[in-house]
Amino acid sequence: MSQKSQPILQVSNVTKRFGNLVAVNDVSLQIYAGEILGLIGPNGAGKTTLFNAITGLARPDSGRVIFKGVDITDLLPHRICRLGMSRTFQVTKAFNNMRVEDAIRVGAYNRHGEKEVVQKVDEVIQFCDLEDIRLWKCGDLGLAQLRRVELARAMATEPDLLLLDEAGAGLNATELSELMAMLRRLNRELGITLCVVEHVMPMVMSLCGRIIVLESGRLIAEGTPDVISRNERVIEAYLGERGGR
Amino acid sequence: MKTMPMKSKPNPKLAARKAAGWLALGLVALLVPRLIGSNQYTMVLATTVLLYAVMASAWNIIGGMAGQMDLAATAYLGLGAFTAGTLLIRWNISPWIGMLLGGLVAAGFAVLVGYSLFRFGVTDVWYALSSSALVEVLRVVFLLWEDVGGPVEKYLPFHNWSLYHMRFGSYVPYYYIILGLLVITLLVNDRISKSKLGYYLLALGESEDAAEVLGVDARGCKLKALMIYAFIVGATGGVYACLYGFIHPNFFSGLQGTEVAILGIVGGMGITYGPLLATVLLVSGREILRSNLSGEIESLYLAVYAVVLILIALFRPTGVATLIDDIYRRFKRTGENHVSEISTNSTSL
Repeated sequence: MSQKSQPILQVSNVTKRFGNLVAVNDVSLQIYAGEILGLIGPNGAGKTTLFNAITGLARPDSGRVIFKGVDITDLLPHRICRLGMSRTFQVTKAFNNMRVEDAIRVGAYNRHGEKEVVQKVDEVIQFCDLEDIRLWKCGDLGLAQLRRVELARAMATEPDLLLLDEAGAGLNATELSELMAMLRRLNRELGITLCVVEHVMPMVMSLCGRIIVLESGRLIAEGTPDVISRNERVIEAYLGERGGR
Repeated sequence: MKTMPMKSKPNPKLAARKAAGWLALGLVALLVPRLIGSNQYTMVLATTVLLYAVMASAWNIIGGMAGQMDLAATAYLGLGAFTAGTLLIRWNISPWIGMLLGGLVAAGFAVLVGYSLFRFGVTDVWYALSSSALVEVLRVVFLLWEDVGGPVEKYLPFHNWSLYHMRFGSYVPYYYIILGLLVITLLVNDRISKSKLGYYLLALGESEDAAEVLGVDARGCKLKALMIYAFIVGATGGVYACLYGFIHPNFFSGLQGTEVAILGIVGGMGITYGPLLATVLLVSGREILRSNLSGEIESLYLAVYAVVLILIALFRPTGVATLIDDIYRRFKRTGENHVSEISTNSTSL
């Protein structure tokens, strides 16, 4: 988690426009191997767009994204996944008609052939504690279970870097603490670097070693949870907005 | 690692029952000509049903699994028919070779079309519209291309019984050839659905974005699915030409292409036996209705057909194949008493 280690992901001056709207404006950031980075900001700050630009779902208008020394700016998402990056979605994009184990199998094929894939699926199911629902259709699951399946699906691709887009939204306190425990295990036991976009502040504050704040597409602050929670601009832009509601 | 509970593994009893079901179905299909072979009309009907079943089952790969609403089955059928037909008429090349080449031509054409459509992210309704337009474009092209097509039917050489020319004076051989194609198509379906490609296609059909970030090459997989589908339908086109004894640009029929997709959807998306079931029920029902409603009310069959489709869309949007599962389950529930149900549950754990 130290700042001295090599960045696993280097985002340089990335800009993404939608017509006149600049969703991500000249953002540069690094993610270091082994850390849990938090990405926060009010709605419409450009967090999801930045995720899309990093994972190849939306090509940035300018700027570069370097992952493990490879320029992935123009690569298709499946190539980026093969290099070792996966993500989850804000609005869960579940494979509704597929069973839980089959959805995980889709991810497991990323690194395994037909012979080992079944074993990998079993392994992930155990790790994520999905044994009781492995034969359920994803469309029949509740939100918390769906989130876990989505995480399991991404985990099965054996990523080095996992981007989580609001994995905690809509969960109750118990579910949230379960999710956090699982993320910590992913990070510590499997050594997966995590970048979490999150609105649930307590979760970000306790989980992340470092936090980056976006507002209107711009990066406005960066630092430890402690520093961020005392940063006036952040309080004004984000925490203040929340408190005012 | 600790051993997984039984329920995660395939149930051998169920698999045996499934196999028995397929075997019984195959036997019935083999015996159909024996039972009705003397009746020309019912043989035409049975052959038509099988033709649609092959196309709808092949459609299941691109439509049911990969979720691409392809309406261009007849584009590939027509290409196959014209390839095999022209080879036979001009160079006396056997349709057995012609149908393979027809399949290849159709698959090659599918690559051209699919690559450009998928490259530019044409999906959903836009894919459906493009594929539908494709059929019409091909029809016009073959209408104008007089060397191969043209407005007048080009007849295949007549033979009362020639295996080499695939020309027979009876429907029975065609029935068996198409039945063979159907078996191959179902086996291909089954094989794909149990492989990496099948899982990838299902995932793509659900959410392309989610599939891609899990390592699924969306374009490549969709292209593969389209090629396999086009090859099967193209090869079927070769038999189709021999069955009708001529080739004509009207083989590129938009209506028929759409119907193939409808059968695939109504049967149950991504379910191997769904399109077959839907075809047997709907196409035979429709044809029987058509022949029984004579004279002025003949076209009423279309209205009835439409009402049936609407009812299925309303009450079984997941497809008629899922109805069978439900019936099977209910039958099991009423057939066995409560105690045995508990015991089967506990043994399965």
